[in-house]
Amino acid sequence: MPEFFINGQPVHAEPGQTVLQAALAAGHYIPYFCWHPNLSVAGNCRMCIVDVEDGKGGTWSDIACNMPVDEGMKVLTETESVQKRRKETLQLILLNHPVDCGICDKAGECMLQDQHYDYHGERPVSFEPKVTATKFHSLSERIVIDNERCICCSRCTRFTAEVSKSNSLAIQFRADHSLVRASEDGAFERDAYSDNVIDICPVGALLSKDFLYRSRVWYLKPTPSVCPGCERGCAVNIWHRKPEWKLNALDPRRNASIDRVTPLENPAVNGPWICNKGRDLAKILERPRAEQALLKGKPAELAAAIAQARDLVAAAKRPVALVSSWGSNEELAAFKATLGGRFASFVKADWAPLPGEVVEDDVLIKPDKNPNRRAAQGLFGAAPIAFPEGTDLVLVWGEGFAFSGLPRGAKVIFLNSYLQPENGHADVFLPISVQTERSGHYTNFEGTVSAFRACFARKPTVVDAEALFAALATRERAAA
Amino acid sequence: MPGTPLLMTFPVTATSHLLSEFRARGGYAALEKALTTMQPGDVTKEVTASGILGHGGAAFPVGRKWAVIKVADGQPHYLCANADEGEPGTFKDRWVLENNPHLLIESMLISSYALGVRNAFVYMRGEFDLPYRRLQAAIEEAYEAGYIGRKLYGTEHICDIVIIRGAGSYVCGEASGLLTSIEGKKGYPRNRPPRLTVKGLYQRPTVVNNVETLSNVAGIIRMGAEAFRKVGTAKSPGTQLVSISGHVVKPGVYEIEHGYPLSKFIYEDCGGMLGGRKLKGLIPGGISAKVLTGDDCKDLTYDHGSFDKAGSALGSGGMIAIAEGTCMVRLLQVMLRFWHHESCGQCTPCREGMGWMHRIIDRIVSGQGRMADIDQLIAISDANDGTTVCGMGDAAGYATVGFIAKFRDEFEYFIQHKRSKYGGVLEVGAAEVAHA
Repeated sequence: MPEFFINGQPVHAEPGQTVLQAALAAGHYIPYFCWHPNLSVAGNCRMCIVDVEDGKGGTWSDIACNMPVDEGMKVLTETESVQKRRKETLQLILLNHPVDCGICDKAGECMLQDQHYDYHGERPVSFEPKVTATKFHSLSERIVIDNERCICCSRCTRFTAEVSKSNSLAIQFRADHSLVRASEDGAFERDAYSDNVIDICPVGALLSKDFLYRSRVWYLKPTPSVCPGCERGCAVNIWHRKPEWKLNALDPRRNASIDRVTPLENPAVNGPWICNKGRDLAKILERPRAEQALLKGKPAELAAAIAQARDLVAAAKRPVALVSSWGSNEELAAFKATLGGRFASFVKADWAPLPGEVVEDDVLIKPDKNPNRRAAQGLFGAAPIAFPEGTDLVLVWGEGFAFSGLPRGAKVIFLNSYLQPENGHADVFLPISVQTERSGHYTNFEGTVSAFRACFARKPTVVDAEALFAALATRERAAA
Repeated sequence: MPGTPLLMTFPVTATSHLLSEFRARGGYAALEKALTTMQPGDVTKEVTASGILGHGGAAFPVGRKWAVIKVADGQPHYLCANADEGEPGTFKDRWVLENNPHLLIESMLISSYALGVRNAFVYMRGEFDLPYRRLQAAIEEAYEAGYIGRKLYGTEHICDIVIIRGAGSYVCGEASGLLTSIEGKKGYPRNRPPRLTVKGLYQRPTVVNNVETLSNVAGIIRMGAEAFRKVGTAKSPGTQLVSISGHVVKPGVYEIEHGYPLSKFIYEDCGGMLGGRKLKGLIPGGISAKVLTGDDCKDLTYDHGSFDKAGSALGSGGMIAIAEGTCMVRLLQVMLRFWHHESCGQCTPCREGMGWMHRIIDRIVSGQGRMADIDQLIAISDANDGTTVCGMGDAAGYATVGFIAKFRDEFEYFIQHKRSKYGGVLEVGAAEVAHA
């Protein structure tokens, strides 16, 4: 393990590490834009230039991100010449940057803002008019680029070349006319990971059309969660309005809705990336919600509906349960502990691939579009759904099962979160909470357990499945 | 002819580029000598002993570059002749390609033998038409005659040569940008390390040499390193093809033996300055080399040591003579426009700095300059010094700093009076030339 010195302090480096990697690992910050831990070295922003003592009383300088560590080398990161270079580089980066932070979605989490504050903080010295370029150029249905803000770091083009492998972004033209553009064959449109370029963009050049001008990021807070889009179970941050910045005047529904979803780095599961489906969790979790308990299609008090369901469970002779593969580990365990002995249970796939959706690839996306089928099958077996002769009660937990497949004459208790026509066809319909309203864990296809936390409060007319199972079982135990 | 020639040793005629005439001049004898009497290591040793420096601009010792290649390391090596001659004022490789293409082919075959190369490339600038047709025809002749693409003289050595034409980018003449372009990518230069002789074309060890540099290899092998060293000076052996343009009576390509007096070259070989004017400045080797004033040039001899001492460099051999009465501000504007246009846009200092300098000089020329602009130009040049991926940013900076250092009064005059001291003239009028 080579040892070298940064500003006189000894630093250990792993073999093959560059000076920048070793410095960051040891807590010595060196500013950078184009370097990204999960992408190849481009070395084009020139922000990480450091000095190295040449042993003859002088120094030489080069970029730290491409500098192999040599045993005993003496790196200087805070000398006057290094700081002068940083100021010059920032002056040049900002030369044609519009500095329109006031209307930029990236403001507040922008590397250029941070580094300008940390290393420069001065007015521009240029008197020339800024070079203008296209603004709001649409790269795909999801992403626009503001080429004036772009600093040509090539992180996005390297992402499509190295991670998503769509090779769909490149830099067109030369010098300060350089423009990031998508290839004309529409590969960027089809790239299932395209939105990651928004996160890795160090400035506000690449913008999500969905999140465009939706909120300043400092009004939002991230809640760690797990993407339920497939059995990979990527760690995500769900961003939503901070309670202290509650909206009173505008649409109050915005206080309890997902503003955006970003990846939460988890090397064991998804690294720093997620797919576009994960960005669109709102499209799954914020479909019109069922918030009213129903008895044979007629609105009822929640307590009355639960009591009715309890009676049905108690009276049933051969009850069958279709267990949701979207239930958390805790909910599944609660079901097993409370009703598991009474019901013949089968695991149900709540969600099947939609037409046009990427079913599987070699980056992240897995074919099973349910987050917790592995845990459910661990508890209830993997047998296909089959109703035994004389089934008189079916408890359907979660969506995705066509009621036409139910045995004739059996009573139906339906637990669902969304407004769907089946809700009215059940004998008892009970609205249950969704993932963003409760905390729990999912077990992904490799057996890795990840936690998600509640983002919003549950409405009083909606019940948590975990509590519901306990309530259904109380009476049952009492009756027995 | 200024001194002993090594390349321009024959009269150029309509057929002098053909294989038959090349053979009659003793062509391909060096190839036979190398392959039948020398081991690959001996060839490299001979080239190292000759002390030849690269002729592309950086004057890197060829032997040191070649010595990095390990012939028997079991991986493919590549050789690439850099014929992307894009440095303004430089058109010397073109002479070799047009008039002696077989010399390049012979030298490349010898070099490929020394370096263990199976596939060699010539990266030629896209604007070259006659040089392309001449070299392509020569390669076809050599294939037919069995020099290329066949095992030679009973050895196992075999090499193919392919011409790749550029698409009009200055930066593709930079060795790593050139290789990136051959790979089919946008010609962005690469960061070092790794050096190209370790990981070059397709991530394999690659030697990129200038056409003129490579063309000297055949001569070195034919006459031996010792005889080669007798030409030129001790520190700069050999000759340099110089393409001189600008305000001289007889512009063109000349071969200068290193150590030849510069004023003798300009005033005798090139026929002196147009209209009998004084020499105001000299760009010695492509616009990236620092400009010299007429006084600087007085006692210079044409070799590396002498030019380094004068604060400039031989560069690519693209000499531009500037006569008294030329507006240096306008000249710098032309140069900065070129660099702005040709900056590849990869790294920050050059991408933004070239445009910035170009806009400043445009403003000065339009009469809107401020005195602070001069120092601003120097500051931008300084920000480009040593911070860019390739040498283009540095070169543009050096040239700008050189112009301002030598002709600062003209810049100040232009800004103060909002007009050029010399009427913004870059040319010497035809009437004046005729009159003289």
